[in-house]
Amino acid sequence: MAGRRGSANGVDPAGPRVVVADASAGRHWSKSWSRQLLGYLAVGPVVLLLMALLVYPLLRTFNQSLYDVRPALQKNEFVGLDGFSDLIADPIFWTVFVNSLVWTIAVVGLQFAVGMLGAFVLDRAFPGRWLLRGLAILPWAIPGVVAAMVWRLIYDPQIGTLQIITGPLGIPPLDVLGRPGSALWGVIFAAVWKGFPFWMLIVLAALQSVPKEQVEAAAIDGAGHVGVFRNVMLPSMAPVIRIGVILTSIWTFNYFEMVYVMTKGGPVQSSHIFPTIIYEEAFRKLDFGDSSRFAVISMLLLLVLAIFFVREARKSEAL
Amino acid sequence: MIGWRSRRWEVLWLVSAMALIAFVVFPLIFMVSTSFKPPEEQLLAPPTILPVNPTLDNYQSALGQETFFRYLANSIMVTVATTILSISIGAFATFGFTRLRFSGRRTLLVLVVLGQLVPLAAIAVPLYQMANGLGLIDYLPALVLAYLAMSLPVTVWMLRSYMRNIPRELEEAAIVDGCTELGAFWRIVLPLSAPGIAATASYVFFLVWQEFLFVLIFTTRPENRTLPVGILDFVGQFETNWGNLMAASMLMAIPAMLAFVIIQRRLIAGLTEGSVKS
Repeated sequence: MAGRRGSANGVDPAGPRVVVADASAGRHWSKSWSRQLLGYLAVGPVVLLLMALLVYPLLRTFNQSLYDVRPALQKNEFVGLDGFSDLIADPIFWTVFVNSLVWTIAVVGLQFAVGMLGAFVLDRAFPGRWLLRGLAILPWAIPGVVAAMVWRLIYDPQIGTLQIITGPLGIPPLDVLGRPGSALWGVIFAAVWKGFPFWMLIVLAALQSVPKEQVEAAAIDGAGHVGVFRNVMLPSMAPVIRIGVILTSIWTFNYFEMVYVMTKGGPVQSSHIFPTIIYEEAFRKLDFGDSSRFAVISMLLLLVLAIFFVREARKSEAL
Repeated sequence: MIGWRSRRWEVLWLVSAMALIAFVVFPLIFMVSTSFKPPEEQLLAPPTILPVNPTLDNYQSALGQETFFRYLANSIMVTVATTILSISIGAFATFGFTRLRFSGRRTLLVLVVLGQLVPLAAIAVPLYQMANGLGLIDYLPALVLAYLAMSLPVTVWMLRSYMRNIPRELEEAAIVDGCTELGAFWRIVLPLSAPGIAATASYVFFLVWQEFLFVLIFTTRPENRTLPVGILDFVGQFETNWGNLMAASMLMAIPAMLAFVIIQRRLIAGLTEGSVKS
């Protein structure tokens, strides 16, 4: 855990700041005052930039969500919360809502499963281990647009390389991305491929932190593989897994380009998730109001994850 | 590990290893092989796994396009500028967050770190409106500025996880010897966190190199695009030039992959904070 390293060698991460200042008692006041100033100077640029580029735009999104803004129609009128009730009455909202949940849960869950499998394979010595490890990380290192295009090639109904697998099995070529029922799942599978290495690396690092003596002791006591895994390994990996779940959920929820490049939210808007509908409403339909409303609702959902994130980070003394 | 070597276990391991390899390699093979296939072969159904008549034509024609170099140059400029700015501003802020005490430090830190969680799509509209109002659409420095919104939070988050683990005794010794707080940071903390800075810089580079949404929004003219949006030129309305597209994709992906494989160990520790012991 984060804090343990710091406190183990007696160092408070924030630092025993008084020691130095007390050395010259007379200068104590001016020193601490100048340190305050230095502190604000140091973090000032980042804070100001984020205020201008993150906080202000967010406030503007919130504000705009109360208006009907459609520049093409020269419209900009206050509608209050009516915009939200109209939106919630629209079936597309519920499609996006359900899709976003399915997308996030399925991608994170499957990435975790494949990542565990990868860690299980790599967590032992064998010839060529470094090579397999490097190979298995590659999907994560490939730019999202490229990964999306590669998977479009795989799914292509005419020349798609998926036929190499489905053909011999007697399955006719499937237009995975062209059907409302399967398009989102097609992207989910591609995103699992792209993102699982992060999980694999996290789990590998966590496995190395499992105390070997405990594993051996449990094995000697007659615990089977499953028992050792559940009672010894899982508990000591739990904090890492929790922070990983939160981080990857947020990344996945916010992930734009894979869905956009592979399906553009289609066919017939069946595979939209929040980020893609926000883009589509604003830059295709030029409806900035609805776009902002989707953005506000997606941020309220993210807020739940953010609270978990801060709580976990606090617990492991990372914040 | 003791007692883990049973026959059944070995078989299970072997099956898992093969499944893992198949899953990872299947898409990669087609990415590579399509980039070496001549046009006729690209349209075969069922497709060939390895090119029967491998050719470099796709690379030649991707590189032969003037626009490709334009995209590449834009990508490099925007990515390098963002990385340098992000690391220098971010390192200075991390100095404040890890080494100085001032009122509101914790609150500001939480705010900065929470910036990581904001969906870019949610700030895309107002950022577009701001840039549009100022006449900054199609102006690449404005794109760099927008990228800082995305890169600064993660930069501070990662740098902090490296820098806070550098013992303060070293700086204190320097300060007793007459060094200023800032001087001690510059001469001791920064050099000691060089590997962490390198990992953070590579990660920022990697994020910006593939960023897609902001380029889509902040550029309208083709000559201002960067690679992620630019390579989609090969995707036609009715037909996609898969060979050229995959060749261009390879050229775009290789630098990112190399950087990534080198830094991945430190990256994980930095992203998940100290919750993973190295």
